[in-house]
Amino acid sequence: MISLFSTGEVSETFQETCTEIMDYYFRRSVQESDTGQRLFRDKKPFALVALGGFGRRDLCIHSDIDVLILFESKVPSSAKKLAEDFFYPLWNLGLDLGHAIRGIKDCLSLASENLEALTALMDARFICGDSPLYLALMEKLEKKTLPKKRLTLSRWLEEQNQTRMTVFGDASCLLEPNLKEGIGGLRDYHHLLWLAKAFFHLRTPKDLETSGLLSHKEYADLENHLKFIHLVRNHLHRESARKNDRLTFDHQETIAQALAFKDQDGLLAVEQFLGQIHASMASIKSLRHSFVFTHFPGSRKNGTGPAASESLSAPFHMDQGEIHFPSATAILRDPLLLLDIFVEGVNAGRPLSLESKRLVREFLYLVDEPFRLSERAARGFLSVLNAPNALEALDQMLETGFLCAFIPEFEPIQDRVQFDHYHLFPVGRHLLQTVRHLKALHQERDILLADIFLDLPDPEPLFVAALFHDIGKTGKDHAAKGAALVRKILKRFGYDRKKMEDVCFLVHRHLLLAETASRRDLNDEKIVVQCAGTAGTMERLKMLYLLSWADGKATGPRAWNDWIANLVLELFFKILHILERGELATPDASRRMKQSMQQVRSRIGDRLSPAAREALFDGMPANYMIETAPLTIARHLRLYETLREARAKGLESAFCLEGEAEPSSGTYEVTFLARDRAGLFSDVAGVMALNNINILSARIYTWRDGTAVDIFTVTPPLDPIHTEEIWERIKKNLAETFEGRLPLSERLQQKAEPSLLSRRKTLRRQTQVIVDNSSSDFFTLIEVFADDRIGLLYKITHTLFTLKIDIRVAKIATKGDQVADVFYVVDLEGQKAMEQAKEEEIRDVLLRELSTY
Amino acid sequence: MKKVEAIIKPFKLDDVKESLSALGVRGLTVTEVKGFGRQRGHREVYRGAEYQVDFVSKIKIEVVLEDELVSDAVHVIQEKAKTGQIGDGKIFIMPVENAIRIRTGETGKDAI
Repeated sequence: MISLFSTGEVSETFQETCTEIMDYYFRRSVQESDTGQRLFRDKKPFALVALGGFGRRDLCIHSDIDVLILFESKVPSSAKKLAEDFFYPLWNLGLDLGHAIRGIKDCLSLASENLEALTALMDARFICGDSPLYLALMEKLEKKTLPKKRLTLSRWLEEQNQTRMTVFGDASCLLEPNLKEGIGGLRDYHHLLWLAKAFFHLRTPKDLETSGLLSHKEYADLENHLKFIHLVRNHLHRESARKNDRLTFDHQETIAQALAFKDQDGLLAVEQFLGQIHASMASIKSLRHSFVFTHFPGSRKNGTGPAASESLSAPFHMDQGEIHFPSATAILRDPLLLLDIFVEGVNAGRPLSLESKRLVREFLYLVDEPFRLSERAARGFLSVLNAPNALEALDQMLETGFLCAFIPEFEPIQDRVQFDHYHLFPVGRHLLQTVRHLKALHQERDILLADIFLDLPDPEPLFVAALFHDIGKTGKDHAAKGAALVRKILKRFGYDRKKMEDVCFLVHRHLLLAETASRRDLNDEKIVVQCAGTAGTMERLKMLYLLSWADGKATGPRAWNDWIANLVLELFFKILHILERGELATPDASRRMKQSMQQVRSRIGDRLSPAAREALFDGMPANYMIETAPLTIARHLRLYETLREARAKGLESAFCLEGEAEPSSGTYEVTFLARDRAGLFSDVAGVMALNNINILSARIYTWRDGTAVDIFTVTPPLDPIHTEEIWERIKKNLAETFEGRLPLSERLQQKAEPSLLSRRKTLRRQTQVIVDNSSSDFFTLIEVFADDRIGLLYKITHTLFTLKIDIRVAKIATKGDQVADVFYVVDLEGQKAMEQAKEEEIRDVLLRELSTY
Repeated sequence: MKKVEAIIKPFKLDDVKESLSALGVRGLTVTEVKGFGRQRGHREVYRGAEYQVDFVSKIKIEVVLEDELVSDAVHVIQEKAKTGQIGDGKIFIMPVENAIRIRTGETGKDAI
């Protein structure tokens, strides 16, 4: 039989055929069993009754086979021998056999005590033997046991559903669904059947339709879905060579192949296969829901309040806590009622009735272009999305197909499955889950998230973005594609322009935080500044953070856990701080940076390969790019090339120095490039002082690759005619210093002495040093205010060097005879000076050194 | 035999992993970890309310090596994981008494 199945000769009819074979076997066994024949002769008749799945004719390859040997009352002693005759051969075949030998009374009392036994008995089917016995059992079950037990049964089934939800989850959206026990699995159908049998005296599944409990279409759909799931289950059993109902990843590809799914339209066969499974299970789930809801209103948790019915606005009405359309013709007159009913649903906090959902499905063809363009529709849809209980309505929209009809862009992605271990849900379900997490934010354990959410002046763009953020998932670069699609949708809605830009931004950048946090260095200021520039405003950043969180949580535990949440939070705060301080990340700054880069590109032509050039741009600090003219950056790049060539020859301490007159201000600009190291800046400042060059202002930067770029504005050399010689001497001094041949400190000391003697008594202002650890996430700021004098800069920077402090950025300014210097520093390990003691040490030592000098 | 344990920045994992395999390292263990070094925890203030941020997320890689490989391995980890910025992490080296491959029962060098 199994081999027939594998070759595909028996597939859809497998359960039927299997059941028939087993029935045939039992009929033959009864005829051939001497014990059996003797029992009949002794007037101790018995019947063989199939229970459970065997009773329902639902046998899969490795299903249990439950059989009851039924006697009138007392079980005779030879029954044991009888069971051996019947069952031993089956056991020998390795079948999973459940058997019982009971009298009618025992069966009924067991069924009264044990609900599982009751449901098994409800599925009982006569195989062979004495049929009056079976009929007597069923009559008593129906007349006596069920009326007493059916309320308990329906409550128990409800409990079972909750247990199944916790243990197996909602199979209609899990990527490794349990075909039987998961919500949406075969059990849902069994429940429905049991309820129908207990309350409406159905005998066969077909009666669901004939009795009018389900419509013809619903029953036909149900049959098809069941057929498909049974088929998959058979394949699964065959693949795993045992009874196994969890469709795990390792079997999915082979089964998809066996079912002749083919890769197409960029979708893997297995992804289409899972999509179909989910669709079938979702449909079964929804059928059970609405069946229970319609016919067993009492089983719901929140009963119907009489007031609720009054609060419903025309033309809808409430019946048993569910919302109904006034009539089918009303929908034809005003198709927008199809959307209004969902709005009514969220307003009243009530679900649509089975009949209403049926009508929505039937009339989906009315959702056409004019419908989608109507302002009332857009307004209604947004009001659903904004409602606190939006999720139920969105769920029902998805389930009835309304969402896809109203927003056709949803169609291609709703059942799309990604075959990996990362995504837990198909895309459509994932989008709804993302909205769900955001809706639950106010009761989130993490108060920071709740605070950020409450801070948003208008959370609507966030909800809209959450619902659509993966809508571009039909191909590569889904975020950019999604942003374009969402723009199209919102234009159709006539959506507010500013909010639309927010939504498009959120969809386009929804991966920014998570990707940056896990793939980039968060201690690199430039990276954070770039993110800040992308976000632009604090409000957008906050929405983006909440979206990242909800998206991650809705993806699955591999995509979102404490570890990654921690990284994203760190990034969030760093970006927030940059935005709070403004300067580097204002829209203006970002625009200027972009323009500047464009000009540099055109200037340097193809001297650098585009890749090398962009890598260098990427490594330039934001403040350097903003504060430096494109022309100058291009010149720096040229010097950088020279430096790189020198270093390629092994000249580690190579440097470049260029001095250029600034006729307008009568000063000189000196550019210095070298490999950065601690103490470099102080050496340069010292050599300048030694050559009587006074530094009026300086900006020093460090590129990410460790190139120090210093730009000094200096007083002209004392001998204006021989400036070239002076630059040459400075270069020579620098080389000597770098090679350790020039004792800079001593030479400057000697130089300072004579001037000390001749110095005029001047009023000296108090030197001031401020160490600021809180303004930047990346650096400690040291500000020095002092009277200007030759060599002062050397003194400060050299002192910092002896304190083992590395200067990364400096801004030196002189106003009159006062200097105001700001140094952005880290210690030799690249660390901000965090400890109080270190802060104090820096301040004290600097003040002492400067006062004695 | 030595065990080399390194705490590194998450985004450096691929670089480190690749250069270790280029070196002939056949297997390593990677864990997502949280902790703190000299940075300690810090407080973030959001709208007047304080939020304690205690730990930093890092990657821990563990690899057991023959003695001859250790210095090379440590060298490439240091080289590849370095950004020069704060929080580049640490490398620990410790002796390993023995190693046993569970499937075959091989021990020592053969088991790593």
